[in-house]
Amino acid sequence: MTAEEMKNYRVSDYRRILQKGDISPRELVKIFLERCSQWEPFINAFLHLDAERVLRQAEEMEKFPPADEELPQLFGIPVAVKDNICVSGIPTTCGSHILENYVSPYEATVVQRLRRAGAIIFGKTNLDQFAMGSSTESSVFGATRNPLDLSRVPGGSSGGSAAAVASLEVPLAIGSDTGGSVRQPAAFCGVVGVRPTYGRVSRYGVVSFASSLDQVGPLSRFVSDAALLAQVLSGEDPLDSTCAPYPPFSTSDIPSYEETRKMRLGIPREYFSSGVDRSISEEVASAVEKLAKEGFDVIEISLPHTDFALEAYYLVALAEASSNLARFDGVLYGKRAQGVKTLMEMYHRTRIEGFGNEVKRRIMLGTYALSSGYYDEFYLKGMKVRTLVRQDFEKAYEACDILLTPSSPCFPFKLGEKISDPYQMYLTDILTVPSAMAGLPSLSLNCANRDGLPVGLQVIAGPFREDRMFGLALFLEELLSVEPPIPAVPDVKEGDDE
Amino acid sequence: MAHLSRLEFTEQELETFFRDLNNILVHFEKLDTLDLSNVSPTSHITWTSPPVNPDQPVEWGREEEVMRAAPKVEDRYFIVPKIVDKQEG
Amino acid sequence: MNNLKITIGLEVHCQLSTRAKMFCRCGTDYIGKGPNSLTCPVCLGLPGSLPVLNQRVLDLALQLALALGCRILPKVVFHRKNYFYPDLPKGYQVSQYDYPIGVNGSIDYALQGQRKSVRIKRVHVEEDAGKLVHEGMALMPDQSGVDFNRSGIPLAEIVTEPDIRSPEEARECLMMFRSLVRYLEVSDGNMEEGSLRCDANISLSRNPGEMGVKVEVKNMNSFRSVYRALSFEVERQKVLLHEGKEISQETRHWDEIKHVTVSSRGKEEAEDYRYFPDPDLLPFSIDEASLMNIREKLPELPLERKERFMLEYELTESEAGVLVSSKMLADFFEECLKELNKPKTVCNWITTEVLRNLKNLGKNINQSEITPKAFTELLRMIEKKEISGTIAKSVLEEMFTSGMNAREVISKRGISFISSEKELENIVVDVIENNPQSVADYLGGKQKAFNFLVGQVMRQTRGQASPEMVKNVLYKQLSAGG
Repeated sequence: MTAEEMKNYRVSDYRRILQKGDISPRELVKIFLERCSQWEPFINAFLHLDAERVLRQAEEMEKFPPADEELPQLFGIPVAVKDNICVSGIPTTCGSHILENYVSPYEATVVQRLRRAGAIIFGKTNLDQFAMGSSTESSVFGATRNPLDLSRVPGGSSGGSAAAVASLEVPLAIGSDTGGSVRQPAAFCGVVGVRPTYGRVSRYGVVSFASSLDQVGPLSRFVSDAALLAQVLSGEDPLDSTCAPYPPFSTSDIPSYEETRKMRLGIPREYFSSGVDRSISEEVASAVEKLAKEGFDVIEISLPHTDFALEAYYLVALAEASSNLARFDGVLYGKRAQGVKTLMEMYHRTRIEGFGNEVKRRIMLGTYALSSGYYDEFYLKGMKVRTLVRQDFEKAYEACDILLTPSSPCFPFKLGEKISDPYQMYLTDILTVPSAMAGLPSLSLNCANRDGLPVGLQVIAGPFREDRMFGLALFLEELLSVEPPIPAVPDVKEGDDE
Repeated sequence: MAHLSRLEFTEQELETFFRDLNNILVHFEKLDTLDLSNVSPTSHITWTSPPVNPDQPVEWGREEEVMRAAPKVEDRYFIVPKIVDKQEG
Repeated sequence: MNNLKITIGLEVHCQLSTRAKMFCRCGTDYIGKGPNSLTCPVCLGLPGSLPVLNQRVLDLALQLALALGCRILPKVVFHRKNYFYPDLPKGYQVSQYDYPIGVNGSIDYALQGQRKSVRIKRVHVEEDAGKLVHEGMALMPDQSGVDFNRSGIPLAEIVTEPDIRSPEEARECLMMFRSLVRYLEVSDGNMEEGSLRCDANISLSRNPGEMGVKVEVKNMNSFRSVYRALSFEVERQKVLLHEGKEISQETRHWDEIKHVTVSSRGKEEAEDYRYFPDPDLLPFSIDEASLMNIREKLPELPLERKERFMLEYELTESEAGVLVSSKMLADFFEECLKELNKPKTVCNWITTEVLRNLKNLGKNINQSEITPKAFTELLRMIEKKEISGTIAKSVLEEMFTSGMNAREVISKRGISFISSEKELENIVVDVIENNPQSVADYLGGKQKAFNFLVGQVMRQTRGQASPEMVKNVLYKQLSAGG
């Protein structure tokens, strides 16, 4: 079997063939390893991919065949992990110099949950340095390219995870979403990307960018797989105080189509403004129309502070980041600058050599936002606007059950196109930031292809209403029947000319 | 600000940096148009009271791994350049 | 020059007595442990690690704040205090800022019979940093070493208003802090081991209506050095004022060897700590029910107890002061009174002999083998004149070292407290009369029979006679009879 032949396989299909013994876990991972060897030279989605290690895990699976028992939920399924999430025994670099050779002595809770569910930890995927970026170009290990068009970025910061799923190097991946870092790359690569409710998934072992916003989420080719992955990842964790002590999300809570049809859909007009590419607005609007034809109640609503969310987001996120990244000082771990004589020199040189420009820029901005005399003007203001953004959503959910918006204001752009203009880069998060600020579960799925480029549609639900979010996303997926991408392996020439 | 963040820049870097920073900072002025006087800040997204630890020690037991990988360790101490002003602890 | 107004405020840090650290499960018992052996991803600040609050920290801090009469804030928020230092693994310290545990309390203490009060500005909790080592066998001269065993140990910080008027008052007030934390069992309050630390602000002013320039004094590691350092500062500032010179606002360190305060070099610009709410730690709300619960369980506090002892047991202030200096000692005293209601006697023996023995052994009363029952038994024997006071002292000493009770010590040592042989004679005669066969055996040359008779006498006296004396009297009687 080849990966192409499995392009429409869901996790349930892999389980079926594994359970029947049509294929062994080792044979299955070999197919994906083969796919990686074809695609990696072109897209650079993985920072760490150790075939031996992957095969060893698959072998372990074979050693303990749970005979007639039902297989664990992700038995034998390769899952790629963003490289800011700690996995034992292999590096966690965050795409940076400072952690270039860093191996975490402990493992993230989410990775342990994946292992417990029988998943094969396939490798570590590329990202913008410390998850700070929207294009996966700022990794010191080179940019990741969009498998749908190698001249374009895959989005970011979880661009490696999105590209790996879109090229079917792996069926599933996880990323982290602070202001859109799962959903925006999912939109750019035509796959499904989910940001769960803040507090739904443990952050323990996920290198913090902005603690009050970071959340780990699944990327997959199908909505049902993302839901399954969300179920595996979610649930309380005694090691993370921000993780809510609620029962995990369960796919069995997802409403039926009948029930889903009763949901009132809110369409926030601010998300269709002039800042959004016309073709994208049109495609999303047409998807909404199809839903209306299916009998859904569609309500136009307003989230009046949407326009301010981006600025407020950057104030809050960067303030937290400036403090979260203070620990990278070369004392305990990571790369200390060579030949330093004094303490001050150690700090300055280690950090200047260890961080890329965008990271430094964000640390500086965040430090500024928190410094005495500017705290009220910047950080405090950011937090207050965050309140207004939350209140907008709270009000909206009085009138409707779920919101539909575009995921990204633009199509995947060319490599290098925005890297020199930080603010233009920040703007690509404009539609994913507000729900992150409010801590709400949001999902992006591909609703159309325009000239070969995907259009992401975002589904935003109320807190802990992943059930509704997935319910509507499943409905839409079936209704729109836009197939997940299966790009042809480029010939060598195409890869060369960049 | 660079010193507070323990970062260091050359003149030229600083120039580009400040240009970029200023370009970003001007956008934050947008927030000045909002009346925020009666708005309370959201510092955390909280859904419930947070979990706590019991007061029972548990040994981690893997500190050797941290020391093995550290930039500089002698006799189980993490080594840094001498701190000149030792009073400022 | 005598009407200078001295104003002192204290900033006291005490290590809270928890078994695990503040935000992780590492143990806090770092004394004698190898460097960095009590560490984990959280207290080392490894990437991706997150803090979870130890519930006990909150409980202990609330007890302390309530005992200080503070108003408890309805929610507890942790802030990050950002600065770079090698002993600070995260680049920030988790502390508190605008939502401390409690505010507006007070602490009372007595000096020369006069009750004084110092207002408490705030009580908050924070995590300790690691320890820096500047000299050591393995260290090159241009290196420092860091040990993170202490990193993340919970501290309570108590800040007073500048209500203290002299170095004596400062020392006394600090000693009251120590008694208080020990009474509450929230901290062991040991200054030498660093579990109680104190910084002070001091200013002198000619004009009682206004404050002088504030000087911060640090590095005072004992009650004596607090007194000495502040006395030195008073003199130093007096001279400066007298000479018409300016006092500069600065931080000075007490030099324990040279007995002077020294201005800290550099760091003149105030560090900008960029406090902000720690996004990794959600705020805790404090409900009235759990507060009530803690309030009800608060023990009688040292000053109240001292005053009660003076009134109820007619002790002097200094006697009562010594007894209440430790809760265990005061509890021991009151336990003893239940056995023997002679407060003055019990007090005298505790404040002299008991304390002397404890000091020699380096133990506190609860660690020692002495129980109130055993101790009062000894006192009762003195009262009945069964033993002399001098012998009692040496018996007590052995009770401390051996863990035996008074009677055991006495019989072991052969000290008789059936002090007259006369008293014993009756018993001996009794035994002889009741055991004619043994007497006959003994007289027939069987030594074993003598031992049996000794045993019989001992049993009759219930061990209250010394075997030597018993043998003596028995021998005499048997010889007389024969």
